[in-house]
Amino acid sequence: MIARDRNWLVIFAVCVTLAIVYPFFADGYQLTVIRDALIFGLFAASLDFFWGRTGILCFGHAAFFGIGGYIMALTTLNDAIPLGSVLGILGAIAGAAFVAAIIGYFLFFGGIRGSYFTIVTLAMGVICQQAAVSWSSVTGGDSGLIGIPPIAFDLGGLHVDLSQDLPSYIFVAAIVAVVVLALWSISRGRWGMVLTAIQDNEVRVAALGHNAPLRLLATFVLSAAIAGLAGALYVCMAGLVAPDLSGLLLSTEVIVWVAVGGRGTLLGPVLGAIAIQRAQQTISSFNPSLWPLLLGCVFVIIVFVLPDGILSIYARLKSLFNGRRPAQ
Amino acid sequence: MRPKACSPACANASQVLPDTMDFVVTTLLNALTLISILMLVGLGLAISFGLMNVTNLAHGEFVTVGAFAVYFVQSVGGSFWLGLLAAPIAGAVVGCILEFAIIRHLYSRPVSTVLATWGVSLILQQGLELTFGLGAKPVTPPIEGTLDLFFTVYPAYRLILIAIAMLTLLGVVLLISRTSFGLDIRTVIQNREMAEGVGINTRRTYAIAFTFGAAIAGLAGGLVAPLAIVLPQMGVNYLANAFFVVIVGGVGSIGGLVAGSVFVGGLTSVLNYQISPSLAQAIVLLAAIVAVRLRPNGLFNGASR
Amino acid sequence: MSDVLLQAENVGIRFGGLQALEALNLTVRDKELCCIIGPNGAGKSTFLNLLTGTLRPTSGSVRFLGHDIAGLPLHRIARLGIARKFQIPSVFPSLSVEDNLKVARWGASSPVRPVGELLDLVALGNRAATLAGELAHGQKQWLEIGMALAIEPRLLLLDEPTAGMTPQETLATAEMLLRLKGEFSIVAVEHDIRFVRALNCETLVLHQGRRLRSGPFHDIETDEMVRDVYLGRR
Ligand SMILES: Nc1ncnc2c1ncn2[C@@H]1O[C@H](COP(=O)(O)OP(=O)(O)OP(=O)(O)O)[C@@H](O)[C@H]1O
Ligand SMILES: [Mg+2]
Repeated sequence: MIARDRNWLVIFAVCVTLAIVYPFFADGYQLTVIRDALIFGLFAASLDFFWGRTGILCFGHAAFFGIGGYIMALTTLNDAIPLGSVLGILGAIAGAAFVAAIIGYFLFFGGIRGSYFTIVTLAMGVICQQAAVSWSSVTGGDSGLIGIPPIAFDLGGLHVDLSQDLPSYIFVAAIVAVVVLALWSISRGRWGMVLTAIQDNEVRVAALGHNAPLRLLATFVLSAAIAGLAGALYVCMAGLVAPDLSGLLLSTEVIVWVAVGGRGTLLGPVLGAIAIQRAQQTISSFNPSLWPLLLGCVFVIIVFVLPDGILSIYARLKSLFNGRRPAQ
Repeated sequence: MRPKACSPACANASQVLPDTMDFVVTTLLNALTLISILMLVGLGLAISFGLMNVTNLAHGEFVTVGAFAVYFVQSVGGSFWLGLLAAPIAGAVVGCILEFAIIRHLYSRPVSTVLATWGVSLILQQGLELTFGLGAKPVTPPIEGTLDLFFTVYPAYRLILIAIAMLTLLGVVLLISRTSFGLDIRTVIQNREMAEGVGINTRRTYAIAFTFGAAIAGLAGGLVAPLAIVLPQMGVNYLANAFFVVIVGGVGSIGGLVAGSVFVGGLTSVLNYQISPSLAQAIVLLAAIVAVRLRPNGLFNGASR
Repeated sequence: MSDVLLQAENVGIRFGGLQALEALNLTVRDKELCCIIGPNGAGKSTFLNLLTGTLRPTSGSVRFLGHDIAGLPLHRIARLGIARKFQIPSVFPSLSVEDNLKVARWGASSPVRPVGELLDLVALGNRAATLAGELAHGQKQWLEIGMALAIEPRLLLLDEPTAGMTPQETLATAEMLLRLKGEFSIVAVEHDIRFVRALNCETLVLHQGRRLRSGPFHDIETDEMVRDVYLGRR
């Protein structure tokens, strides 16, 4: 337990160091690529916080990403709103959390868990995307909204302007590091331990005086709020928002990032997101419709070959190695 | 013209515009069309999800495969009816392979089943797209024209669809209640260990039941093909709606299946006149969630969880 | 009487056509220890479910501190001061022994005993870091008792706390309970006559959902009818 915590912190420190030195070696374009990948990494960490800690799979997590994105876009595109960037981010977080709270309330207190939960959230994702397409007077329909300004605000003497590559990279990297670290400390403390106990035996947890559904709901809402934050950041960096951002394909991809990176590790999914997006860009440059096909194969392969993610290869090799030694 | 979104809901609400007089009858028949399709798609899901506890996210692709089978048969010069024969066969083949290659190895790992079947669903969608190319596939109904029903005129093909769906359902009820295979299924569902004890091959029974559900979903795809927009991605809407049918209706009885289909199909059809299809979908989702919150075991089951 | 903690009056429950329990009375006073015994299927676990409000009786009433608690959410019942050890050992296998107790303490409205003391009480002081899933069967039972203690209950209900234990472990468990006697009320359901003998308390004998006998254990032990039931002569 203690050793595992230390390992995690070491890997985290290595990642932070890499993130700090990266700008010295990369040009502006490479910085923006990693920056955008990091935002999706944040999104993956948000799903992992819920899926990894509760064992319940949310199949429509992009809905929260998209809700955050649209709220951010609509807030910053409206000139009448002062401090659009700040209010937009707060609104994105609140909006995603609100939707999660409503849906989660009915599901968790209705005793819905496991596959039922997965399916309802899948439907939620489908509907969000449809809504984004058909409510075109607000969302811009199929083509979405463009011209979203970069984050910029003056707040109490603090002047932030993220229209340049480097500042936006630093801003995103710092947020990702802080949030991942915060989620990690939450999930190894009291909150996480109770969630692990709920996974083991929810009835027993309740019989000890814990309000288990409320605990699950709070976890879900926090996870959705962070997904909303990621969505808000993304649309400002990309400059546009489109229905795809709440779509099923993104919901699917984020699951793959988490599963490949290693469910429950928080850091693994961030790395998984970065690595897989690199692969996706390479593959899509040959043939764009090859990617979903490969994605499908990855799902099947994960399930049958690597149920614990890429990082488990190392652990497996290690145990193989340690297991052999005494025999020799 | 048909609307762009490809849910069964919009497909069925689109053509027949409400006139003041025949509004009720038309709405009822539209609802009945959707309910029939949902019952057929939901049947397979009630078997796999409800009774075998397998969450098969590739179930929507059985519908897609059925629709593509009709398209393919028509495109090589065959008749619609030949295509409609091919549809359940195509569904059954895909279902059977899926069961053998994937699902039976994952009975004890629910999350893995979700992931793997979703992977298969993506592979099938892209496979169809690579094989048949981009864009919607045209399927022509066997009969054009309408039938005068005294209160209203209604497309004849839709009436045929409803009739075929009802007959199929009746056949399934008879199969399950009257044949020895039906008895096997019922025994396995009620108590797996006991069924093994009395010498029923539960694995085989599961495999056959699963394949059977896939065939019925394929048939549904074939039936709906002339009304829907036939695309490799068409399955997901049926998937979501069919899951609602099973969740709302509860598992384990044909009554539950009918109740769930009437709830989801009826609500969707009625709402479709008032509001946009995606808002209607959202309301159906919320209604289904609330219904589940109030009756965790489905509308049709009295006992508590 | 003001020191009555739990009172079941004339309770019965029906499952469809099966009258699982009928016309049972039980009064548990504050800090009192009592036992319920009976052969398999007698309805002991079902009776506990009624006492904890998990099931609602179809006739009669159950009152805890004068309130009807049937149908309250489980965590509310726990917070009222009712702790329960389930018949199937239900510890959290993927947490360590110590963390199991921590999770239990956090559930309490006002935990008093520190984790270290709980560990010593249930004789698991040297297993604190072990994963609960790797404990021996008897130790799991003890851990469950420790978790029940952690929420500082007013009433502790134990469903077959010694099932699967060696005779020595059974006696150790009885001693454990006797040490705790006087801190809160305890209702123990048991099969093992040696255990009940060691506790030597008020005992209710259930048979086919009805009260067969009740009274101090030494009276029960010598009762002809009780012997018949246990020896399977009826
Ligand atoms: N939810 C239920 N529905 C139907 N019957 C039930 C239910 N719960 C218990 N029973 C029946 O009630 C009777 C009493 O069961 P109970 O579990 O209370 O017995 P027990 O005395 O605890 O037995 P054991 O010593 O095996 O634990 C049994 O016949 C059982 O089958
Ligand atoms: Mg019992």
